Amino acid sequence: MEGTLTPSPLARDRWRRFRRIPRAHRSLWILGGAFVLSLFSDLIANDRPLYLAYGGRHFFPAFKFYPETSFGGRYGTEPDYHALRESPAFRAGRGWMLFPPIPYGPIRSNLDRPDPPPHAPSWGHWLGTDSIGRDVLSRLIHGFRVCMLFALALVAVSAVLGIVIGGVQGYAGGRVDITLQRLIEIWAALPFLYVLILLGSIYGRSFSILLCVTAAFQWIGLSYYMRGEFYRLRDQTFVVASRALGAGHGRIIFQQILPNALGPVITILPFTLIAGIGTLTALDFLGFGLPPPSPSWGELLQQGLKQLYCPWIAFSAVAALFTTLMLASFIGEGVREVFDPRSKSRYD
Amino acid sequence: MDQGPPLLRVQGLTIAFPGDGAPVEAVRDVSFDIARGETVAMVGESGSGKSVTALSLARLLPSPPAEFRSGKILFDGRDVFALAPPELRSLRGGGIAYVFQEPGTSLNPVFRVDSQIAEAIRLHRPGVTDIDAEIVRSLDLVGIRDPALRMRDYPHQLSGGMQQRVMIAMALACQPKLLVADEPTTALDVTIQKQVMDLLKELRSRLAMTILLITHNFGIVSDFADRVLVMYRGRIVEQGPTRSVLRDPRHPYTRALIDCIPRLGAKPGRLKTIDHAAIQAALPHV
Amino acid sequence: MSDTPLIEVRDLQVHFPVLAGVLRRPAGAVRAVDGVSFAIPRGITMGLVGESGSGKTTLGRAILNLLRVTGGRVRFEGRDITNLSAGEARPLRRRMQAIFQDPFNSLNPRLTIAQIVGEALEIHFPKMRRSERRDEVARLLGIVGLEPSHLDRYPHEFSGGQRQRIGIARALAVKPDFIVCDEPVSALDVSVQAQIINLLQDLQDEFGLTYLFIAHDLAVVEHISDHVLVMYQGKIVESAAADELYRTPSHDYTRRLLDAVPTIA
Repeated sequence: MEGTLTPSPLARDRWRRFRRIPRAHRSLWILGGAFVLSLFSDLIANDRPLYLAYGGRHFFPAFKFYPETSFGGRYGTEPDYHALRESPAFRAGRGWMLFPPIPYGPIRSNLDRPDPPPHAPSWGHWLGTDSIGRDVLSRLIHGFRVCMLFALALVAVSAVLGIVIGGVQGYAGGRVDITLQRLIEIWAALPFLYVLILLGSIYGRSFSILLCVTAAFQWIGLSYYMRGEFYRLRDQTFVVASRALGAGHGRIIFQQILPNALGPVITILPFTLIAGIGTLTALDFLGFGLPPPSPSWGELLQQGLKQLYCPWIAFSAVAALFTTLMLASFIGEGVREVFDPRSKSRYD
Repeated sequence: MDQGPPLLRVQGLTIAFPGDGAPVEAVRDVSFDIARGETVAMVGESGSGKSVTALSLARLLPSPPAEFRSGKILFDGRDVFALAPPELRSLRGGGIAYVFQEPGTSLNPVFRVDSQIAEAIRLHRPGVTDIDAEIVRSLDLVGIRDPALRMRDYPHQLSGGMQQRVMIAMALACQPKLLVADEPTTALDVTIQKQVMDLLKELRSRLAMTILLITHNFGIVSDFADRVLVMYRGRIVEQGPTRSVLRDPRHPYTRALIDCIPRLGAKPGRLKTIDHAAIQAALPHV
Repeated sequence: MSDTPLIEVRDLQVHFPVLAGVLRRPAGAVRAVDGVSFAIPRGITMGLVGESGSGKTTLGRAILNLLRVTGGRVRFEGRDITNLSAGEARPLRRRMQAIFQDPFNSLNPRLTIAQIVGEALEIHFPKMRRSERRDEVARLLGIVGLEPSHLDRYPHEFSGGQRQRIGIARALAVKPDFIVCDEPVSALDVSVQAQIINLLQDLQDEFGLTYLFIAHDLAVVEHISDHVLVMYQGKIVESAAADELYRTPSHDYTRRLLDAVPTIA
């Protein structure tokens, strides 16, 4: 069908209205920008140099694996580049390397310092290190990427599940609806955490298991909205008109109903994102989340709680979490206002 | 009809709404009076500004988006725009009461009929002690049978015509000085339309009410209103006694609006329609 | 041409179950259409009046195969078309179309006019090229008095009367023989109402259409129809030629309807 891919004037109008809410608009840019930047965290915080010159040859360790032997070492393993830089052999070979702005990865412990970790913020570690000497800032940046990827994937998966299942219920109605509704109620009654622990102990903890289990519960709320919208819309005259023209179910669902039903879903999505970030952090905090040593905010919070005498750990994690959730809330608020512009009109 | 100053005087009212580019004036320089005990009909098509005018009488238009550009509304000698919030609240319902087009959406579905009328009475007539008796009286007034029984119903248990009667009862329970009926019968079946109009007629003579009827149909105006205001594109293009306007419309728009109504028993053929270009040409340019 | 009427309805019944109790078992039925019979000869306008809840909209939709019939028969050109499956009904959709009451609700707000009017062409003439389809939609818009420049606009940019014209163009797209007009002018201003009625009459003359014209306003129905059916509580209580109905109403309900028509004294 022609023109379905170009945004309707309604959508354009909504985007225009969104842009007129500075708080929401700026939050979207900041959070979006931070997310795009975080996709390149390996170029921002990494203990492998971006570029390395040795023996007249060029190396890019941040992107590629090189064994120690390439730089005159003995083993086929990856070198510790920080140690390598200081090694006499490397210097003798007129080696030179360029580190990212934060020359520490999220996993590597810096145990070169004489005092035991955690280290307070210093020139070397802007936000200090955690209890096993890992750079807090580097873990924050990498943790943000994991967190956002998780939350965005959760939004996508639960939106698809919620739309499809809620849509089927609302469109089919009757027995299909009732049966699915009862099944959903049973499903929703399962304790989320038990399912997660159970599956985690069978298949091992991983990003994908975590995402699947969380999404398997997250879509339910969305499907209620979709069911309601489909119920309302399927009896609208334009749907009857389309049937009178001889349109099949697919055409009616995808062309007539779905575009009109998406409004409430879109207003919920930013809040699903918030829920995703919150869930992952909470699970990590409790120790049911991503397996160590993955960089994670929840794990940092946990450490901060255990080591209150090192306030930089808890403070960094809390500040990062607070800022992210606040930005996402502002976006959500803006989206909601765009979909209900009447909230601005005033009666006296 | 009473002598003395009119109950309502609207002078040079201009109201604008934000448009695509520049604001659009939905009501332009509208002036009219309503005397005590008079029934006035405001006739016009959708978009003519008649509902906007009606809502602005008790400042019921949300602002923003509505923008009052100029003009005055004097109700009972007082400037409506100068009223303090408590005075404004007593004006609404107590001074000017409204009956709207859709009785189904004008009644709150989660409350019984009696509690909705009771609220209106409590707000505007704090002196009334036996509220239930007053509710029964007001429902009885609008011709609802078994009012003591019906008042316990929820709105959805009533038919459209019954709902509209309840709306009228609610409006009257406040003993307003002016009743604004905004297309009160448009959403109803023809037979029910007639009943509701008959009811309004009867109430008018019994209670000596002042009524402003908003409608797009000249048909229901002829044996109801004393005076007619014809609105077209935000302006009043003609006003005068109903009889003379209907018999001898001076403005081409009025004539066109009367002519386009299908009449029973008329010869089949094409209906007359409105030639907007010709009417535009006849309008005074501003 | 044979004597077979275009549409023939025999003892048609449409009941809706009333569900009650926790288990939502059917406890009874609303007889929305309760044993209705009539025939519509080709080329005429059959008026159908009745108040809301009388079953007139249900009757219209039952004829169009938009809902399931409980009993009785509907014949189109003598062929039984009662309760066809979606697939069997599709070819029929090219012959029978509908125009709906609410011009604000009958057009999908998310689609352009080209998409709305072109939908029928897409369904029934899938091989038609996009440019041909656009041309055809533009032609249809011209027929109903709109501009080809309206093609890429959305419904909210139009007035009630214009939307109703779009609805008519959509119905005309498949070149139907029969159109059910379900209260097509009830939601419109009187002046716009007159334009739409005139348009419907012009289209009937030009394309030899047959109408079932449903309304609650007897004056409108009497004006446009050749023959009028009066429906009351699911049954047809009176059937007469339009002028006859006005002069000599036989049923009490018809008299009440006539009495309620506002007149300009």
